[in-house]
Amino acid sequence: MIRWLALLLTVLAAVSLCIGDATLAPPDGLIFWQLRVPRTLLGALVGGGLGLSGAVLQGALRNPLADPGLLGITGTAGLGAVIAFYWGVAATFPPVLMAGGLVGAGVGAGFLLVFAGRSPSGPSLILAGVAVSAIAAALLALALTLAPNPFALTEITFWLMGGLADRPLWQVMLTAPAILLGGAILLSLGPGLDALSLGEETARSLGVPVTRTLRLAALGTALAAGAGAAVAGSIGFIGLVVPHLLRPWFGERPGALLPAAPLAGAALLLTADMLVRLAPMVLPLSAAPPVGVLTALLGAPFLVVIARRMAP
Amino acid sequence: MERGAEKARYSPQRHRVLGVILCVLCVSLVALPGLPAVAAGRVASLNLCTDQMLVLLAPEKIAALTPLSRDPALSFVASRAEHLPYGAQTTLTLLQQERLPILRIALAQDFAGIRRMTRLLAATLGVPERGEALIAAMDHELETLPHPSHAVRALVLEPRGLTAGPGTLMDAVLRAAGMANASDGRRVSLEALVSQPPDLLIVPSPPAYPSLATVVLRHPALANLPRRSIPPALTICAGPFSAAAAAMLTR
Repeated sequence: MIRWLALLLTVLAAVSLCIGDATLAPPDGLIFWQLRVPRTLLGALVGGGLGLSGAVLQGALRNPLADPGLLGITGTAGLGAVIAFYWGVAATFPPVLMAGGLVGAGVGAGFLLVFAGRSPSGPSLILAGVAVSAIAAALLALALTLAPNPFALTEITFWLMGGLADRPLWQVMLTAPAILLGGAILLSLGPGLDALSLGEETARSLGVPVTRTLRLAALGTALAAGAGAAVAGSIGFIGLVVPHLLRPWFGERPGALLPAAPLAGAALLLTADMLVRLAPMVLPLSAAPPVGVLTALLGAPFLVVIARRMAP
Repeated sequence: MERGAEKARYSPQRHRVLGVILCVLCVSLVALPGLPAVAAGRVASLNLCTDQMLVLLAPEKIAALTPLSRDPALSFVASRAEHLPYGAQTTLTLLQQERLPILRIALAQDFAGIRRMTRLLAATLGVPERGEALIAAMDHELETLPHPSHAVRALVLEPRGLTAGPGTLMDAVLRAAGMANASDGRRVSLEALVSQPPDLLIVPSPPAYPSLATVVLRHPALANLPRRSIPPALTICAGPFSAAAAAMLTR
Protein backbone atom coordinates (compact mmCIF):
# COMPACT_ATOMS: atom_id res chain seq x y z
CA MET A 1 0.00 0.00 0.00
CA ILE A 2 2.81 2.38 0.95
CA ARG A 3 4.50 1.45 -2.33
CA TRP A 4 1.40 2.44 -4.28
CA LEU A 5 1.31 5.77 -2.45
CA ALA A 6 4.97 6.39 -3.24
CA LEU A 7 4.35 5.53 -6.89
CA LEU A 8 1.32 7.86 -7.00
CA LEU A 9 3.40 10.66 -5.50
CA THR A 10 6.15 10.14 -8.08
CA VAL A 11 3.65 10.27 -10.94
CA LEU A 12 1.99 13.40 -9.52
CA ALA A 13 5.37 15.11 -9.09
CA ALA A 14 6.28 14.28 -12.69
CA VAL A 15 2.96 15.68 -13.96
CA SER A 16 3.42 18.77 -11.77
CA LEU A 17 6.76 19.44 -13.48
CA CYS A 18 4.94 19.44 -16.84
CA ILE A 19 2.09 21.79 -15.91
CA GLY A 20 2.54 25.53 -16.16
CA ASP A 21 1.07 28.48 -17.96
CA ALA A 22 3.85 28.62 -20.55
CA THR A 23 3.62 25.06 -21.85
CA LEU A 24 1.92 21.79 -21.02
CA ALA A 25 5.14 19.86 -21.57
CA PRO A 26 8.52 19.55 -19.92
CA PRO A 27 9.89 23.07 -20.41
CA ASP A 28 13.40 24.35 -21.10
CA GLY A 29 16.06 24.52 -18.42
CA LEU A 30 15.34 27.90 -16.87
CA ILE A 31 11.59 27.47 -16.41
CA PHE A 32 12.12 23.87 -15.31
CA TRP A 33 14.80 24.51 -12.71
CA GLN A 34 13.83 27.94 -11.42
CA LEU A 35 10.02 27.71 -11.48
CA ARG A 36 8.64 24.16 -11.85
CA VAL A 37 11.16 22.29 -9.66
CA PRO A 38 10.90 24.71 -6.69
CA ARG A 39 7.10 24.67 -6.92
CA THR A 40 6.87 20.87 -7.04
CA LEU A 41 9.47 20.38 -4.30
CA LEU A 42 7.77 22.94 -2.08
CA GLY A 43 4.34 21.38 -2.65
CA ALA A 44 5.65 17.93 -1.73
CA LEU A 45 7.54 19.19 1.34
CA VAL A 46 4.75 21.42 2.68
CA GLY A 47 2.04 18.86 1.97
CA GLY A 48 4.12 16.08 3.53
CA GLY A 49 4.79 18.16 6.64
CA LEU A 50 1.11 19.03 7.01
CA GLY A 51 -0.11 15.47 6.44
CA LEU A 52 2.31 14.00 8.96
CA SER A 53 1.60 16.75 11.51
CA GLY A 54 -2.13 16.08 11.19
CA ALA A 55 -1.68 12.35 11.73
CA VAL A 56 0.52 12.88 14.79
CA LEU A 57 -1.74 15.56 16.31
CA GLN A 58 -4.87 13.44 15.86
CA GLY A 59 -3.08 10.54 17.55
CA ALA A 60 -1.39 12.50 20.33
CA LEU A 61 -4.47 14.53 21.24
CA ARG A 62 -6.85 11.62 20.52
CA ASN A 63 -8.99 14.04 18.56
CA PRO A 64 -10.08 13.42 14.96
CA LEU A 65 -10.44 17.18 14.37
CA ALA A 66 -6.82 18.02 15.21
CA ASP A 67 -4.98 19.77 12.36
CA PRO A 68 -2.03 22.20 12.43
CA GLY A 69 -4.21 24.81 10.68
CA LEU A 70 -7.31 24.46 12.88
CA LEU A 71 -5.15 24.45 16.01
CA GLY A 72 -3.50 27.73 14.99
CA ILE A 73 0.08 26.47 14.51
CA THR A 74 0.35 27.47 10.84
CA GLY A 75 -1.36 30.77 11.71
CA THR A 76 1.20 31.74 14.35
CA ALA A 77 3.99 30.52 12.03
CA GLY A 78 2.73 32.85 9.29
CA LEU A 79 2.57 35.71 11.78
CA GLY A 80 6.20 35.16 12.79
CA ALA A 81 7.31 35.01 9.16
CA VAL A 82 5.36 38.19 8.29
CA ILE A 83 7.03 40.13 11.09
CA ALA A 84 10.47 38.92 9.97
CA PHE A 85 9.78 39.57 6.28
CA TYR A 86 8.06 42.95 5.96
CA TRP A 87 10.42 44.91 8.21
CA GLY A 88 13.34 44.05 6.01
CA VAL A 89 15.24 41.77 8.40
CA ALA A 90 14.76 38.70 6.22
CA ALA A 91 15.82 40.68 3.11
CA THR A 92 19.30 41.22 4.53
CA PHE A 93 19.58 37.75 6.07
CA PRO A 94 17.08 35.24 4.58
CA PRO A 95 17.25 32.56 7.33
CA VAL A 96 15.51 35.07 9.61
CA LEU A 97 12.32 34.41 7.62
CA MET A 98 12.47 30.76 8.61
CA ALA A 99 13.45 31.62 12.18
CA GLY A 100 10.46 33.97 12.47
CA GLY A 101 8.11 31.29 11.19
CA LEU A 102 9.53 28.64 13.51
CA VAL A 103 9.39 30.91 16.56
CA GLY A 104 5.75 31.71 15.73
CA ALA A 105 4.93 28.03 15.26
CA GLY A 106 6.72 27.20 18.52
CA VAL A 107 4.62 29.72 20.41
CA GLY A 108 1.41 28.29 18.90
CA ALA A 109 2.40 24.67 19.56
CA GLY A 110 3.63 25.51 23.08
CA PHE A 111 0.32 27.11 23.97
CA LEU A 112 -1.51 24.09 22.63
CA LEU A 113 0.63 21.75 24.72
CA VAL A 114 -0.04 23.67 27.93
CA PHE A 115 -3.75 23.91 27.19
CA ALA A 116 -4.03 20.22 26.26
CA GLY A 117 -2.32 19.30 29.56
CA ARG A 118 -4.90 21.24 31.59
CA SER A 119 -8.04 20.50 29.63
CA PRO A 120 -7.80 17.28 27.66
CA SER A 121 -11.42 17.30 26.45
CA GLY A 122 -11.56 17.17 22.65
CA PRO A 123 -13.95 19.99 21.71
CA SER A 124 -12.43 22.52 24.14
CA LEU A 125 -8.97 21.95 22.66
CA ILE A 126 -10.28 22.61 19.16
CA LEU A 127 -12.02 25.75 20.41
CA ALA A 128 -8.77 26.94 21.99
CA GLY A 129 -7.10 26.32 18.63
CA VAL A 130 -9.79 28.35 16.88
CA ALA A 131 -9.09 31.19 19.32
CA VAL A 132 -5.34 31.00 18.63
CA SER A 133 -6.04 31.02 14.88
CA ALA A 134 -8.28 34.07 15.24
CA ILE A 135 -5.70 35.96 17.28
CA ALA A 136 -2.94 35.02 14.83
CA ALA A 137 -5.04 36.15 11.86
CA ALA A 138 -5.92 39.45 13.58
CA LEU A 139 -2.28 40.14 14.49
CA LEU A 140 -1.25 39.17 10.96
CA ALA A 141 -3.67 41.72 9.52
CA LEU A 142 -2.39 44.30 12.00
CA ALA A 143 1.24 43.57 11.12
CA LEU A 144 0.49 43.87 7.40
CA THR A 145 -1.41 47.13 7.97
CA LEU A 146 1.53 48.61 9.87
CA ALA A 147 4.13 47.22 7.46
CA PRO A 148 6.13 49.95 5.72
CA ASN A 149 5.61 48.55 2.21
CA PRO A 150 2.36 49.74 0.54
CA PHE A 151 1.77 46.32 -1.09
CA ALA A 152 1.90 44.46 2.23
CA LEU A 153 -1.81 44.52 3.07
CA THR A 154 -2.84 43.20 -0.35
CA GLU A 155 -0.70 40.15 0.38
CA ILE A 156 -2.89 39.07 3.30
CA THR A 157 -4.57 36.46 1.07
CA PHE A 158 -1.21 34.77 0.52
CA TRP A 159 -0.51 34.47 4.25
CA LEU A 160 -4.06 33.43 5.22
CA MET A 161 -4.75 31.11 2.27
CA GLY A 162 -1.25 30.06 1.25
CA GLY A 163 0.31 29.59 -2.15
CA LEU A 164 3.15 27.80 -3.88
CA ALA A 165 3.66 30.08 -6.90
CA ASP A 166 6.95 31.76 -7.81
CA ARG A 167 8.88 30.81 -4.67
CA PRO A 168 12.59 30.85 -5.47
CA LEU A 169 14.63 27.68 -5.03
CA TRP A 170 16.65 29.11 -2.15
CA GLN A 171 13.46 29.48 -0.09
CA VAL A 172 12.67 25.81 -0.70
CA MET A 173 16.21 24.92 0.38
CA LEU A 174 15.69 26.99 3.52
CA THR A 175 12.45 25.15 4.35
CA ALA A 176 13.56 21.63 3.54
CA PRO A 177 15.90 20.97 6.52
CA ALA A 178 13.31 22.18 9.06
CA ILE A 179 10.50 20.11 7.54
CA LEU A 180 12.71 17.02 7.23
CA LEU A 181 13.96 17.36 10.81
CA GLY A 182 10.41 17.86 12.10
CA GLY A 183 9.28 14.90 10.01
CA ALA A 184 12.01 12.67 11.45
CA ILE A 185 10.96 13.61 14.99
CA LEU A 186 7.30 12.92 14.23
CA LEU A 187 7.97 9.59 12.49
CA SER A 188 9.81 8.34 15.58
CA LEU A 189 6.71 8.82 17.74
CA GLY A 190 4.72 5.86 16.34
CA PRO A 191 4.98 3.41 19.29
CA GLY A 192 4.35 6.21 21.81
CA LEU A 193 1.22 7.32 19.93
CA ASP A 194 -0.06 3.74 19.72
CA ALA A 195 0.25 3.43 23.51
CA LEU A 196 -1.33 6.87 24.00
CA SER A 197 -4.40 5.78 22.04
CA LEU A 198 -5.23 3.52 25.00
CA GLY A 199 -5.28 6.53 27.33
CA GLU A 200 -2.51 8.38 29.19
CA GLU A 201 -2.73 6.16 32.29
CA THR A 202 -2.38 2.94 30.32
CA ALA A 203 0.44 4.45 28.25
CA ARG A 204 2.31 5.37 31.42
CA SER A 205 1.82 1.88 32.81
CA LEU A 206 3.30 0.52 29.57
CA GLY A 207 6.41 2.60 30.24
CA VAL A 208 5.79 5.25 27.58
CA PRO A 209 7.15 8.70 28.53
CA VAL A 210 3.86 10.52 27.90
CA THR A 211 4.98 14.08 28.58
CA ARG A 212 8.07 13.66 26.45
CA THR A 213 6.04 12.17 23.61
CA LEU A 214 3.59 15.10 23.68
CA ARG A 215 6.44 17.63 23.78
CA LEU A 216 8.19 16.00 20.85
CA ALA A 217 4.86 15.97 18.96
CA ALA A 218 4.53 19.73 19.54
CA LEU A 219 8.15 20.39 18.55
CA GLY A 220 7.95 18.20 15.44
CA THR A 221 4.67 19.83 14.36
CA ALA A 222 6.11 23.31 14.86
CA LEU A 223 9.03 22.35 12.59
CA ALA A 224 7.18 20.31 9.97
CA ALA A 225 4.07 22.52 9.62
CA GLY A 226 5.57 25.85 10.75
CA ALA A 227 8.52 25.86 8.34
CA GLY A 228 6.14 25.31 5.45
CA ALA A 229 3.84 28.12 6.56
CA ALA A 230 6.79 30.54 6.73
CA VAL A 231 7.35 30.11 2.99
CA ALA A 232 3.97 29.05 1.60
CA GLY A 233 1.48 30.66 4.01
CA SER A 234 -1.24 28.80 5.92
CA ILE A 235 -2.48 26.04 3.64
CA GLY A 236 -5.39 24.54 5.52
CA PHE A 237 -7.11 21.18 5.87
CA ILE A 238 -4.39 18.92 4.41
CA GLY A 239 -3.46 17.79 7.94
CA LEU A 240 -7.12 17.25 8.82
CA VAL A 241 -8.08 15.24 5.76
CA VAL A 242 -5.03 13.01 5.28
CA PRO A 243 -5.44 10.74 8.38
CA HIS A 244 -9.14 10.25 7.62
CA LEU A 245 -8.38 9.27 4.04
CA LEU A 246 -5.74 6.78 5.20
CA ARG A 247 -7.64 5.06 8.04
CA PRO A 248 -9.78 2.81 5.79
CA TRP A 249 -6.56 1.33 4.35
CA PHE A 250 -4.14 1.48 7.26
CA GLY A 251 -6.43 1.00 10.25
CA GLU A 252 -7.12 3.10 13.32
CA ARG A 253 -3.70 2.64 14.96
CA PRO A 254 -1.95 6.07 14.84
CA GLY A 255 1.50 4.52 14.43
CA ALA A 256 0.39 2.69 11.29
CA LEU A 257 -0.67 5.98 9.65
CA LEU A 258 2.62 7.79 10.20
CA PRO A 259 4.74 6.41 7.32
CA ALA A 260 1.89 6.92 4.84
CA ALA A 261 0.76 10.36 6.03
CA PRO A 262 3.62 12.45 4.52
CA LEU A 263 3.23 10.67 1.17
CA ALA A 264 -0.53 11.22 1.15
CA GLY A 265 -0.17 14.86 2.27
CA ALA A 266 2.37 15.57 -0.46
CA ALA A 267 0.18 13.86 -3.09
CA LEU A 268 -2.90 15.78 -1.95
CA LEU A 269 -1.23 19.21 -2.00
CA LEU A 270 0.45 18.56 -5.37
CA THR A 271 -2.93 17.56 -6.81
CA ALA A 272 -4.62 20.67 -5.40
CA ASP A 273 -1.81 22.88 -6.74
CA MET A 274 -2.08 21.35 -10.21
CA LEU A 275 -5.86 21.88 -10.27
CA VAL A 276 -5.29 25.51 -9.25
CA ARG A 277 -2.73 25.99 -12.04
CA LEU A 278 -5.07 24.43 -14.60
CA ALA A 279 -8.03 26.54 -13.44
CA PRO A 280 -7.20 29.65 -15.54
CA MET A 281 -7.01 27.46 -18.67
CA VAL A 282 -10.50 26.07 -18.10
CA LEU A 283 -12.31 28.86 -16.27
CA PRO A 284 -12.43 32.58 -17.12
CA LEU A 285 -9.86 33.57 -14.49
CA SER A 286 -7.12 36.16 -15.03
CA ALA A 287 -4.74 34.41 -12.64
CA ALA A 288 -4.44 31.16 -10.72
CA PRO A 289 -6.16 31.33 -7.30
CA PRO A 290 -4.10 30.57 -4.17
CA VAL A 291 -3.91 26.83 -3.54
CA GLY A 292 -5.27 27.30 0.00
CA VAL A 293 -8.58 28.42 -1.51
CA LEU A 294 -9.04 25.00 -3.07
CA THR A 295 -7.87 23.00 -0.04
CA ALA A 296 -10.29 24.98 2.15
CA LEU A 297 -13.19 24.57 -0.29
CA LEU A 298 -12.64 20.82 -0.40
CA GLY A 299 -11.51 20.37 3.22
CA ALA A 300 -14.10 22.39 5.10
CA PRO A 301 -17.07 20.18 4.08
CA PHE A 302 -14.93 17.25 5.22
CA LEU A 303 -14.64 18.91 8.63
CA VAL A 304 -18.44 19.18 8.81
CA VAL A 305 -18.81 15.46 8.02
CA ILE A 306 -16.29 14.47 10.71
CA ALA A 307 -17.91 16.80 13.25
CA ARG A 308 -21.33 15.26 12.53
CA ARG A 309 -19.92 11.76 12.95
CA MET A 310 -18.43 12.84 16.32
CA ALA A 311 -21.73 14.26 17.60
CA PRO A 312 -23.36 11.99 20.24
CA MET B 1 8.26 94.64 2.90
CA GLU B 2 7.95 93.20 -0.59
CA ARG B 3 6.78 89.89 0.82
CA GLY B 4 4.23 91.52 3.09
CA ALA B 5 2.78 93.51 0.24
CA GLU B 6 2.56 90.39 -1.86
CA LYS B 7 0.82 88.55 0.91
CA ALA B 8 -1.67 91.34 1.41
CA ARG B 9 -2.42 91.37 -2.28
CA TYR B 10 -2.69 87.60 -2.60
CA SER B 11 -4.73 86.81 0.48
CA PRO B 12 -7.59 89.21 0.89
CA GLN B 13 -9.17 86.86 3.41
CA ARG B 14 -6.35 85.56 5.52
CA HIS B 15 -8.48 83.20 7.53
CA ARG B 16 -9.54 81.48 4.40
CA VAL B 17 -6.65 79.18 3.87
CA LEU B 18 -7.71 77.35 0.79
CA GLY B 19 -7.95 79.43 -2.31
CA VAL B 20 -8.04 76.72 -4.88
CA ILE B 21 -8.22 73.01 -4.41
CA LEU B 22 -6.51 70.99 -7.04
CA CYS B 23 -8.15 67.74 -7.62
CA VAL B 24 -7.28 65.01 -10.02
CA LEU B 25 -9.70 62.76 -11.75
CA CYS B 26 -8.01 59.49 -12.34
CA VAL B 27 -10.14 58.75 -15.36
CA SER B 28 -8.93 60.50 -18.44
CA LEU B 29 -11.47 63.22 -18.95
CA VAL B 30 -11.31 65.88 -21.55
CA ALA B 31 -9.39 68.64 -19.81
CA LEU B 32 -12.01 70.93 -18.35
CA PRO B 33 -11.72 74.61 -19.06
CA GLY B 34 -9.57 76.14 -16.34
CA LEU B 35 -10.74 78.42 -13.61
CA PRO B 36 -10.18 82.09 -14.15
CA ALA B 37 -6.55 82.73 -13.23
CA VAL B 38 -6.33 82.93 -9.47
CA ALA B 39 -3.28 85.06 -9.22
CA ALA B 40 -4.50 85.68 -5.72
CA GLY B 41 -5.08 83.17 -3.00
CA ARG B 42 -3.31 80.13 -1.68
CA VAL B 43 -3.54 76.68 -3.14
CA ALA B 44 -3.95 73.24 -1.61
CA SER B 45 -3.30 69.96 -3.39
CA LEU B 46 -5.05 66.69 -2.55
CA ASN B 47 -2.98 64.41 -4.73
CA LEU B 48 0.67 63.42 -4.98
CA CYS B 49 0.85 64.28 -8.67
CA THR B 50 -0.57 67.77 -8.34
CA ASP B 51 1.59 68.26 -5.21
CA GLN B 52 4.65 67.99 -7.38
CA MET B 53 3.33 70.37 -10.04
CA LEU B 54 2.56 72.97 -7.34
CA VAL B 55 6.06 72.71 -5.86
CA LEU B 56 7.59 73.16 -9.28
CA LEU B 57 5.38 76.06 -10.32
CA ALA B 58 4.47 78.17 -7.31
CA PRO B 59 5.83 76.95 -3.98
CA GLU B 60 5.07 80.27 -2.28
CA LYS B 61 1.34 79.85 -2.90
CA ILE B 62 1.05 76.42 -1.32
CA ALA B 63 -1.45 76.15 1.52
CA ALA B 64 -1.21 72.39 1.82
CA LEU B 65 0.22 69.32 0.10
CA THR B 66 -0.40 65.66 0.83
CA PRO B 67 2.07 63.98 3.21
CA LEU B 68 3.14 61.74 0.31
CA SER B 69 4.82 64.73 -1.35
CA ARG B 70 7.61 64.49 1.24
CA ASP B 71 8.36 60.84 0.62
CA PRO B 72 11.50 60.64 -1.50
CA ALA B 73 10.49 57.19 -2.72
CA LEU B 74 7.33 58.54 -4.32
CA SER B 75 7.87 62.22 -4.91
CA PHE B 76 10.32 63.79 -7.32
CA VAL B 77 10.28 67.04 -5.32
CA ALA B 78 10.45 65.50 -1.84
CA SER B 79 13.45 67.57 -0.78
CA ARG B 80 11.76 70.80 -1.79
CA ALA B 81 8.41 69.78 -0.29
CA GLU B 82 9.99 69.09 3.06
CA HIS B 83 9.52 72.59 4.48
CA LEU B 84 6.15 73.21 2.83
CA PRO B 85 2.88 72.77 4.71
CA TYR B 86 1.10 69.46 4.22
CA GLY B 87 -1.96 67.67 5.44
CA ALA B 88 -4.84 68.46 3.10
CA GLN B 89 -7.07 65.59 4.09
CA THR B 90 -10.47 67.22 3.94
CA THR B 91 -12.89 65.52 1.64
CA LEU B 92 -13.77 67.07 -1.62
CA THR B 93 -17.47 67.10 -0.79
CA LEU B 94 -16.89 69.22 2.25
CA LEU B 95 -14.85 71.66 0.22
CA GLN B 96 -17.49 71.82 -2.46
CA GLN B 97 -20.07 72.69 0.17
CA GLU B 98 -17.78 75.52 1.19
CA ARG B 99 -18.02 76.72 -2.43
CA LEU B 100 -14.29 76.72 -2.91
CA PRO B 101 -13.15 76.90 -6.51
CA ILE B 102 -12.05 73.43 -7.60
CA LEU B 103 -9.89 72.68 -10.60
CA ARG B 104 -10.07 69.14 -11.93
CA ILE B 105 -7.12 67.91 -13.90
CA ALA B 106 -7.00 64.84 -16.09
CA LEU B 107 -3.89 62.79 -15.36
CA ALA B 108 -1.46 63.07 -18.25
CA GLN B 109 -0.50 59.79 -19.93
CA ASP B 110 1.94 61.15 -22.52
CA PHE B 111 4.20 64.12 -23.12
CA ALA B 112 1.52 66.11 -25.00
CA GLY B 113 -0.70 65.64 -21.96
CA ILE B 114 2.11 66.80 -19.67
CA ARG B 115 2.49 69.98 -21.73
CA ARG B 116 -1.29 70.61 -21.58
CA MET B 117 -1.46 69.99 -17.84
CA THR B 118 1.54 72.21 -17.14
CA ARG B 119 0.12 75.08 -19.22
CA LEU B 120 -3.34 74.78 -17.64
CA LEU B 121 -1.95 74.81 -14.12
CA ALA B 122 0.59 77.55 -14.83
CA ALA B 123 -2.15 79.76 -16.29
CA THR B 124 -4.47 79.06 -13.36
CA LEU B 125 -1.73 79.93 -10.91
CA GLY B 126 -0.91 83.11 -12.80
CA VAL B 127 2.63 81.99 -13.64
CA PRO B 128 2.41 81.04 -17.34
CA GLU B 129 6.07 81.87 -17.95
CA ARG B 130 7.20 79.30 -15.38
CA GLY B 131 5.07 76.70 -17.10
CA GLU B 132 6.66 77.48 -20.45
CA ALA B 133 10.12 77.28 -18.86
CA LEU B 134 9.39 73.81 -17.44
CA ILE B 135 8.02 72.62 -20.77
CA ALA B 136 11.02 74.05 -22.65
CA ALA B 137 13.43 72.27 -20.30
CA MET B 138 11.50 69.01 -20.70
CA ASP B 139 11.38 69.30 -24.50
CA HIS B 140 15.09 70.08 -24.61
CA GLU B 141 15.84 66.96 -22.57
CA LEU B 142 13.61 64.86 -24.84
CA GLU B 143 15.21 66.22 -28.03
CA THR B 144 18.74 65.53 -26.87
CA LEU B 145 18.06 61.90 -25.88
CA PRO B 146 20.38 59.48 -27.67
CA HIS B 147 18.42 56.84 -29.58
CA PRO B 148 19.42 53.17 -29.44
CA SER B 149 21.04 51.93 -32.64
CA HIS B 150 18.68 48.95 -32.96
CA ALA B 151 15.04 48.50 -31.97
CA VAL B 152 14.87 47.39 -28.33
CA ARG B 153 11.68 45.62 -27.19
CA ALA B 154 11.36 46.67 -23.56
CA LEU B 155 8.84 45.46 -21.00
CA VAL B 156 7.90 47.51 -17.95
CA LEU B 157 7.23 44.95 -15.21
CA GLU B 158 5.46 46.19 -12.12
CA PRO B 159 4.61 44.36 -8.90
CA ARG B 160 1.94 41.63 -9.14
CA GLY B 161 2.91 40.89 -12.75
CA LEU B 162 1.33 44.06 -14.08
CA THR B 163 2.86 45.61 -17.19
CA ALA B 164 2.64 49.08 -18.71
CA GLY B 165 0.68 48.64 -21.93
CA PRO B 166 -0.07 51.07 -24.75
CA GLY B 167 -1.54 54.40 -23.65
CA THR B 168 0.24 54.51 -20.31
CA LEU B 169 2.80 57.06 -19.20
CA MET B 170 5.56 54.44 -19.26
CA ASP B 171 4.62 53.58 -22.85
CA ALA B 172 5.21 57.24 -23.76
CA VAL B 173 8.49 57.21 -21.83
CA LEU B 174 9.64 54.07 -23.68
CA ARG B 175 8.84 55.64 -27.05
CA ALA B 176 10.65 58.83 -26.06
CA ALA B 177 13.67 56.67 -25.25
CA GLY B 178 13.42 55.11 -28.72
CA MET B 179 12.27 51.71 -27.50
CA ALA B 180 9.36 49.50 -28.51
CA ASN B 181 6.90 48.43 -25.84
CA ALA B 182 6.72 44.65 -25.55
CA SER B 183 3.60 44.76 -23.37
CA ASP B 184 -0.02 44.56 -24.46
CA GLY B 185 -1.09 45.78 -21.04
CA ARG B 186 -2.01 42.37 -19.67
CA ARG B 187 -0.59 40.71 -16.59
CA VAL B 188 2.25 38.29 -17.23
CA SER B 189 3.31 35.28 -15.19
CA LEU B 190 6.97 34.54 -14.59
CA GLU B 191 6.73 31.50 -16.87
CA ALA B 192 5.26 33.52 -19.72
CA LEU B 193 7.95 36.15 -19.23
CA VAL B 194 10.78 33.60 -19.28
CA SER B 195 9.39 31.73 -22.29
CA GLN B 196 8.95 34.94 -24.33
CA PRO B 197 11.59 37.28 -22.95
CA PRO B 198 11.78 40.96 -23.98
CA ASP B 199 15.15 42.52 -24.92
CA LEU B 200 15.07 44.64 -21.81
CA LEU B 201 13.18 44.37 -18.54
CA ILE B 202 12.37 47.62 -16.77
CA VAL B 203 11.50 47.25 -13.08
CA PRO B 204 10.97 49.73 -10.25
CA SER B 205 14.06 50.07 -8.07
CA PRO B 206 13.67 47.94 -4.93
CA PRO B 207 11.82 49.67 -2.09
CA ALA B 208 13.42 50.12 1.31
CA TYR B 209 11.08 47.50 2.78
CA PRO B 210 10.18 44.32 0.91
CA SER B 211 6.86 42.80 -0.05
CA LEU B 212 6.18 39.53 -1.85
CA ALA B 213 5.08 41.52 -4.91
CA THR B 214 8.36 43.45 -5.16
CA VAL B 215 10.58 40.50 -4.23
CA VAL B 216 9.18 38.47 -7.15
CA LEU B 217 10.60 41.10 -9.54
CA ARG B 218 14.02 39.79 -8.50
CA HIS B 219 13.19 36.11 -8.93
CA PRO B 220 16.25 34.08 -10.01
CA ALA B 221 14.36 32.95 -13.14
CA LEU B 222 14.62 36.55 -14.42
CA ALA B 223 18.29 36.92 -13.53
CA ASN B 224 19.51 36.35 -17.11
CA LEU B 225 17.33 39.09 -18.63
CA PRO B 226 18.99 42.47 -19.18
CA ARG B 227 17.25 44.83 -16.80
CA ARG B 228 17.12 48.47 -15.89
CA SER B 229 15.83 49.72 -12.54
CA ILE B 230 13.99 53.00 -12.46
CA PRO B 231 12.96 54.81 -9.24
CA PRO B 232 9.16 54.89 -8.79
CA ALA B 233 9.45 58.59 -7.88
CA LEU B 234 10.13 59.22 -11.57
CA THR B 235 7.27 57.10 -12.92
CA ILE B 236 4.30 57.31 -10.54
CA CYS B 237 3.23 60.76 -11.72
CA ALA B 238 3.40 62.39 -15.11
CA GLY B 239 5.19 65.74 -15.09
CA PRO B 240 8.02 67.66 -16.71
CA PHE B 241 10.33 65.29 -14.82
CA SER B 242 9.00 62.34 -16.84
CA ALA B 243 11.68 63.25 -19.40
CA ALA B 244 14.24 62.28 -16.76
CA ALA B 245 12.75 58.76 -16.73
CA ALA B 246 13.32 58.49 -20.49
CA ALA B 247 16.83 59.87 -20.09
CA MET B 248 17.57 57.27 -17.45
CA LEU B 249 16.54 54.48 -19.84
CA THR B 250 18.85 55.65 -22.62
CA ARG B 251 21.91 55.93 -20.41
